[in-house]
Amino acid sequence: MGIIKTEDLTFEYIRRDEEGNVEGITTAVDAVSLDIKQGQFIAILGHNGSGKSTLAKHMNAILYPTEGTIWVDGMDTTEEKSLWDIRQTAGMVFQNPDNQIIGQVVEEDVGFGPENMGVPTKEIWERVEESLRAVGMYEFRKYSPNKLSGGQKQRVSIAGVLAMHPKCIVLDEPTAMLDPNGRKEVIRAIRGLNQVEGVTVILITHYMEEIIHADKVFVMDNGKIAMEGTPREIFSQVERLKELRLDVPQVTLLAHELKKRGVRLPNGILTTEELVAALGL
Amino acid sequence: MSMIIDHVNYIYEPGTPHARKALSDICLQIPDGQFVGIIGHTGSGKSTLMQHLNGLIRATEGHIYFNGEDIYDDDYDMKKLRSKVGLVFQYPEHQLFEVDVFSDVCFGPKNLGLDKRETELRAFDALRKVGFPENLFYQSPFELSGGQKRRAAIAGVLAMKPDILILDEPTAGLDPKGRDEILGQIKKLQQETGMTILLVSHSMEDVAEYVDRIIVMNRGSIMYDDTPANVFAHYRELEEVGLAAPQVTYIMHKLREKGLPVDAGATTIEEATEEILRALR
Amino acid sequence: MLRDITLGQYYQTESVIHRMDPRVKLGGTLLFIISLFFFKNFLGYAIAALFLAVVIKLSGVPFKFMVRGMKTIILLLMITVVFNLFLTPGTPLVSFWKLTITIEGAKLAASMAIRLTLLIIGSSLMTLTTTPNNLTDGMEKMLRPLRIIKVPVHEVAMMMSIALRFIPILLEETDKIMKAQIARGADFESGNIFKRAKALVPLLVPLFISAFRRANDLAMAMEARCYRGGEGRTKMKPLKYKKRDYIAYLCILVYMVGSIFVGRLSF
Repeated sequence: MGIIKTEDLTFEYIRRDEEGNVEGITTAVDAVSLDIKQGQFIAILGHNGSGKSTLAKHMNAILYPTEGTIWVDGMDTTEEKSLWDIRQTAGMVFQNPDNQIIGQVVEEDVGFGPENMGVPTKEIWERVEESLRAVGMYEFRKYSPNKLSGGQKQRVSIAGVLAMHPKCIVLDEPTAMLDPNGRKEVIRAIRGLNQVEGVTVILITHYMEEIIHADKVFVMDNGKIAMEGTPREIFSQVERLKELRLDVPQVTLLAHELKKRGVRLPNGILTTEELVAALGL
Repeated sequence: MSMIIDHVNYIYEPGTPHARKALSDICLQIPDGQFVGIIGHTGSGKSTLMQHLNGLIRATEGHIYFNGEDIYDDDYDMKKLRSKVGLVFQYPEHQLFEVDVFSDVCFGPKNLGLDKRETELRAFDALRKVGFPENLFYQSPFELSGGQKRRAAIAGVLAMKPDILILDEPTAGLDPKGRDEILGQIKKLQQETGMTILLVSHSMEDVAEYVDRIIVMNRGSIMYDDTPANVFAHYRELEEVGLAAPQVTYIMHKLREKGLPVDAGATTIEEATEEILRALR
Repeated sequence: MLRDITLGQYYQTESVIHRMDPRVKLGGTLLFIISLFFFKNFLGYAIAALFLAVVIKLSGVPFKFMVRGMKTIILLLMITVVFNLFLTPGTPLVSFWKLTITIEGAKLAASMAIRLTLLIIGSSLMTLTTTPNNLTDGMEKMLRPLRIIKVPVHEVAMMMSIALRFIPILLEETDKIMKAQIARGADFESGNIFKRAKALVPLLVPLFISAFRRANDLAMAMEARCYRGGEGRTKMKPLKYKKRDYIAYLCILVYMVGSIFVGRLSF
């Protein structure tokens, strides 16, 4: 069993009208089964409303499945006694950088998780320092979060999770509210965690450029897993992705258009270098 | 009918230790019916400049002329200016407040002192122009999807029947399909009504496909003001200030460097496809 | 407008007073204020002023900066002085028109003015030298005994520190929504009170919705980071008395005994 495993995970919620009468049932996640190995970089893609965030919230025991099961490092999330172990094992970073920073000083925010876990003071300081260094925010440790850019705030949030020494970090659209530079900073930090620290990363996003380096990609639609594979396998299906309200990087799209017009090119070109090589230049 | 910005300077909190020059010596002319993209990273002054155009911020120095009249004249009617220069803020759905979408869109025209009939006609027209589905007109704005909320909020400004429409990052947080739909709708609006559109963005890819002219802002000044192809030709300089040309520009330059005789000025995938096919033949 | 109020704003610098344990500063301020109410002669006030002057000097906060913050409450001070000056019965000193100033009134007004000034400077010195966070920590620890009578001390302290973190964010948000509505022709500035109150609806509804959304997000983020109340929590920056804090307590004690002894002498 991997670090995160789901079996027919289904999440339904009941919609009610103003008087509280049941209007209908929405199935946000529909019988999803997946198995994520320790140390992998996983991307979950999907348009807004595809169920990807709802799925993510199950990994941190914020939501519980209506049907099916999810195990985090072998622990069933519905078992109350392992709740805090689960939240420690699978850390979570959310979309809005402002709404997840609790401390008024960067270092105090990073220390918040370890404080909650009852880590001794001396070790908290060690953890805060190493986490802030891992995301390149150590120089900012004495700053007020309000003085930071969006990308910097998200890196502080990541450090805050990292200080809890999780095995796995789930990032729920961490770049959706950032500008391109902030997005790059955050993705670089995330890749660093995965490669240097060996933390399992589950990145939820709808930006295609961010998933090129993933080991495996799941594409969600309508609560189900619609596609799964390596980035190259996913990007080779340009038309299918468009149906799912997604797009592909410009170079992939360009190669696709050229191919349609009769140029002989392989499927799923991901970088400019690959295109240049494939054109025989 | 045009907007002229004449040597505008703006200083934040002048006379305090926090004083900071946000805009320095901006000169611009925006003729009628143009679709202009304004690019710059966070803090480049682009949003500050936009708020000058409808009088929300007053320049520390310089003049702004709208239709030949100085908007800083003592007897100038600011309220009328605000109805003629519509400003859609970032995440505009955060301003929605009425019980249903239709009433919310009526807020603007009602403030102009129009009668009920004209107000409702305008609201209806505005909602139709942004492609808002009719069956949701009387829904609470808080129950809509992100994309629909965004449309409703844009309609709220459009209902004032502005001559110039300024949109600050209208696609922030939307998924790729939602982004294309909103931008497509704006383009259509511009073509059908001849409205002047100023689109503030930090994504070159988004802007390249739609606009006639790009203004690049950096540290409170105008860095470039030209057609997309001419602006992107400076891709190295753009990188130096933390911006980037669309990926397609890099591809074309790379191909050229490798010996394929293409014109590197293509800014969209369609142009690039044609250009490469021509060169390959 | 809001940022003109320097009263109680933290002043960033390095000093003995800044490094002092917040509990010493809280306790010391409280004792200082109490001492002011014991004096019967002006010598007591002189000692208090001297003591305060020494502490200000040690704190490294420029006196000018403190005075600027006082401007907003000078009016309050004036009113108190005027009332005491004219409304205290006793031996007439001067009288003109219908007003009489008595000797007792003049004395009372003078001591009142001195007392209030010292009180305000003294307590603002505490907030000027202590970060809000440190202050909540100090209060939490000082009030801990109240938990026995079921006062949720930790929760209140946590609420205070979250509020302090979100005030600037919500102020910025208010500004943004206000501008967005002005761009839609809203008018927050003209009309009678009733009309103005009604004009606030388009501002307040989105602001409340946003505040609730933020509260919801924050609660989720806190839970995800294993927050489960004050039980079993450790501190990254625990409060621990150091040598200088004991010395400070000693100084305060000496001041209290000395000033009250001298201040209650009658000549």
